[in-house]
Amino acid sequence: MSSWRAGLRNALLVARRQVGAVREDRYVVFLLGLVIALGVVAVLGARHHAASEAEQRARYQAMVERQWLEQPNRHPHRVIHYGFLVFREEAPLAFFDPGVGAWAGTSLFLEGHRQNTANFGDARHATGMLRFGRLTPASVLALLLPLFVVVAGFASVSAERERGTLRLLLAQGATPAQILAGKVLGTGAVAALAALPIGIAAVVIAASGAVGPVSAGRLAGLAGLYAAYLAGWVLVTVLASSFRASSRSALAQLIAVWVVLCVAVPRLGASVAGALHPVPSRAEFTAQVERAMNEVGDSHNPQDPFFRSLRDEYLARYEVGSVEELPVNWGGVVSREGEAISSRIQEEQQRDLVEGQRRQDRVLSWAGLLSPYLAARDLSMAVSGTGPEAVEAFRAQAEAHRYDLIQRLNDLHINEIRYENDRAQRLPREHWAEFPTFGTRPPPLGGALAGRALSLAALGLWILLPLLGLGLARARLARVGVERAAS
Amino acid sequence: MRARLRLLRLDMLRLTRSTGVAIAVVLLLAIGVYAAWRGGRNIEAAASSTVAAETAYRDQLAYLLSTYPPTTEAGEVLYYLAFPAPQPSLPLAALARGRTEVETASLRIRLLALEGQLYEHETVNPRLAAAGDLDLAFLLIALLPLFIIALTYDLVSSEREGGTWSLVRLFARPRRLLALKLASRACLVGAVVAVPVAVAASLAGFPLDGRAGWAVALIALHTVFWFALCLGVASGRRSSTANAMILVGTWVALTLLAPAALSLANAILHPVPEALELTVHQRQGYHEAWDLTKAETMQGFFEDYPEWSDRTVPEDVFTWAWYYAMNHRGDRAAREASGAYRDVLRERERWARRWSLLVPPLAAQLALDRLAASDLSAQLAYQDAVRRHHERLKTYFYPHFFAVTPIDAVDWDRVPVFEPAVTEESATRAGFPAATALLLASVLVVAAGARLSGPRAD
Repeated sequence: MSSWRAGLRNALLVARRQVGAVREDRYVVFLLGLVIALGVVAVLGARHHAASEAEQRARYQAMVERQWLEQPNRHPHRVIHYGFLVFREEAPLAFFDPGVGAWAGTSLFLEGHRQNTANFGDARHATGMLRFGRLTPASVLALLLPLFVVVAGFASVSAERERGTLRLLLAQGATPAQILAGKVLGTGAVAALAALPIGIAAVVIAASGAVGPVSAGRLAGLAGLYAAYLAGWVLVTVLASSFRASSRSALAQLIAVWVVLCVAVPRLGASVAGALHPVPSRAEFTAQVERAMNEVGDSHNPQDPFFRSLRDEYLARYEVGSVEELPVNWGGVVSREGEAISSRIQEEQQRDLVEGQRRQDRVLSWAGLLSPYLAARDLSMAVSGTGPEAVEAFRAQAEAHRYDLIQRLNDLHINEIRYENDRAQRLPREHWAEFPTFGTRPPPLGGALAGRALSLAALGLWILLPLLGLGLARARLARVGVERAAS
Repeated sequence: MRARLRLLRLDMLRLTRSTGVAIAVVLLLAIGVYAAWRGGRNIEAAASSTVAAETAYRDQLAYLLSTYPPTTEAGEVLYYLAFPAPQPSLPLAALARGRTEVETASLRIRLLALEGQLYEHETVNPRLAAAGDLDLAFLLIALLPLFIIALTYDLVSSEREGGTWSLVRLFARPRRLLALKLASRACLVGAVVAVPVAVAASLAGFPLDGRAGWAVALIALHTVFWFALCLGVASGRRSSTANAMILVGTWVALTLLAPAALSLANAILHPVPEALELTVHQRQGYHEAWDLTKAETMQGFFEDYPEWSDRTVPEDVFTWAWYYAMNHRGDRAAREASGAYRDVLRERERWARRWSLLVPPLAAQLALDRLAASDLSAQLAYQDAVRRHHERLKTYFYPHFFAVTPIDAVDWDRVPVFEPAVTEESATRAGFPAATALLLASVLVVAAGARLSGPRAD
């Protein structure tokens, strides 16, 4: 018990020594101030941006809903073409990590016969500057803080060795494990000091409710995630410092590691994923949809063979000789069947496209094993609710809403409109209030995380491997001490 | 002279024998050649997408003409027909991909309201886009400086820390030795730049014109800027680690922070509510027309096309002339918002260009995108070209709508072909401001380095 307590005391003493060394280094202190300032600017800027975007979307969504209700008496097929506009709501935590939001469309026009693309993503309104990445609280934590950890910790062990104080520490009874633990704790404390202001600012904003309801689970998830990610950097930094002969070479090596893991591998991974699994361009995709549609038929084309056979089937079912005698509106039936077919075809094509993109995602997930930065970003957007699955959920839910809307209108056409003089008739406007409104249901946290086993494993390895390395370093550190003492 | 060459060779040998340098050179060359190959592939993919759009147009036209009776009105078939509007990319886009990943360069437009079709998204995978793109420009502008830093941060301090500085000073003038060491490092960096650029040039087939010339000049000047900065810092009396921290800190500030901060400021200063507004207006403008008299709709149409104002459409029957005039009404309703939208984007682009001149990597990057016509203004120019094309198609087909021409009487072979946007800006106009800024910045850092970075090494 007492030896355990003594060990802890030694480790804490070394940690305090490390924090003291950092405090004396004016470069590190300057950088600490810079990182904190940047983090706070990022939180405030992102919060402002997210709020104005959300306000805009809500305003236009309300306008579109009002316009829908204010429609005059109309023929239901008219309303099918009038359609509806939906705007993608960002998750409340988008101010912290906007995820893939900028690259996904914002407004989606829902109409009959076609599935449109969601348009006006933020990235299309940005200049070439955005290519270097965005300044967001998440990017400060994932990209800049590791570099700060490196600067704060590269000399942690190597400087003691260079100055000869490592031998003194060992001679005073501190074990190598205690020294390494102390260095990890000290460097970790400095990292926490840099990260906390961002975390506190984010929690204050989330708790204020200004961005919408944020679950404590998601906040805790983010805290745990970034703590683990940064802890990995602290371990790697102390490890490099204890293995390298000089502080200078430890610094050079750590910066190289940072560049490779945080800058090179993510981009290389994305590029290779695109090269391995190319997806059709928009022009190719719409041409494919068109070809597939031509093969089956089109409800707007009365000459189409499919609809001729459908007519014969209806005539036989109701035992009448012509469509005029049918008890239901034949025009509406054609429209409903046509919508069912065209939606199915487009959904199939869309599924192929999404499947192609998921294949690309998997390549990037595997790259996450090489780059903890990628894994952390992947998990961060999943927990924030801003990952690709949120975008896909919006698309799928909007499509389901579209299909339901159009088929309700087709049913009105079939049952409320007479076949003769069809287009001259109008439905009373009271009908428009009967339609459900659209709201996005974000994918649940559990589901978003379930598909990310690879990223979770990558983050686990990011802690585990440097820990194993430190185990080896401990033996080496002891040897260094003995050799130095003997000489 | 010969002795100096021998020293140069010796220093080169010493450099390349270091494992770290060797690994970095191999990695940079490998990534560079890969990025060049990928750039060439992207251009090929864009070209094949263009061919696909044109084939789809011909197939669809043949399908429609064979399934509809020859007496069908042209307007009905045109409802389905999408006309290709492919913008070929410049070969230089293989080097600087800019924003081409998120932009559509090959729209297929129908004769319906244009504003609803103009902003269609590419099939970009948002997760890949969020991870960032890797083109040669990014490698040479964002990553190469780190290699330069790694080669030069301890140019003097390593000799001093190794105890060889006083020895060196005995035999050579420090200034000359510094120049020699710089020369051998410049050779190495030059090779790392030249190989992938040459590969990209041969794969994408750059014409050796002013654009390529300015692009190469900008890359060279940007490299010179980083050498100048490193020299300014490394010739002081600081320790190697202090030099490394200062240089990497500067790199982070110039390459990551300044662009991200400027980008955020740009988005906050120039919001684009018009994007959503024009969508709402276009839809409303078109659909309201169903509840107006046909004469009212046609009146607005004739204001924009007085040459047809002597035509009339019957009030009691459906005509395609009226149908497409309603679509035009949608575009008219969105016109103001659409113009404001483009103005804001142009303002964002102007603002970005102006401020980028203060940040050397950004100046180089944005100028390269301009030269490669892969920037925001190129996309706006493309959208304008699509607008002109839509107008030409309208002018071609409208007489048929008024005359109620059947599809077999339309000359489908003479339908206007898309005329791509031409880059009006000269290569010099695109490259000169950034080149000047880079040159000034280089001079400034050398001068400031001489003055501020503490006592000189000698």
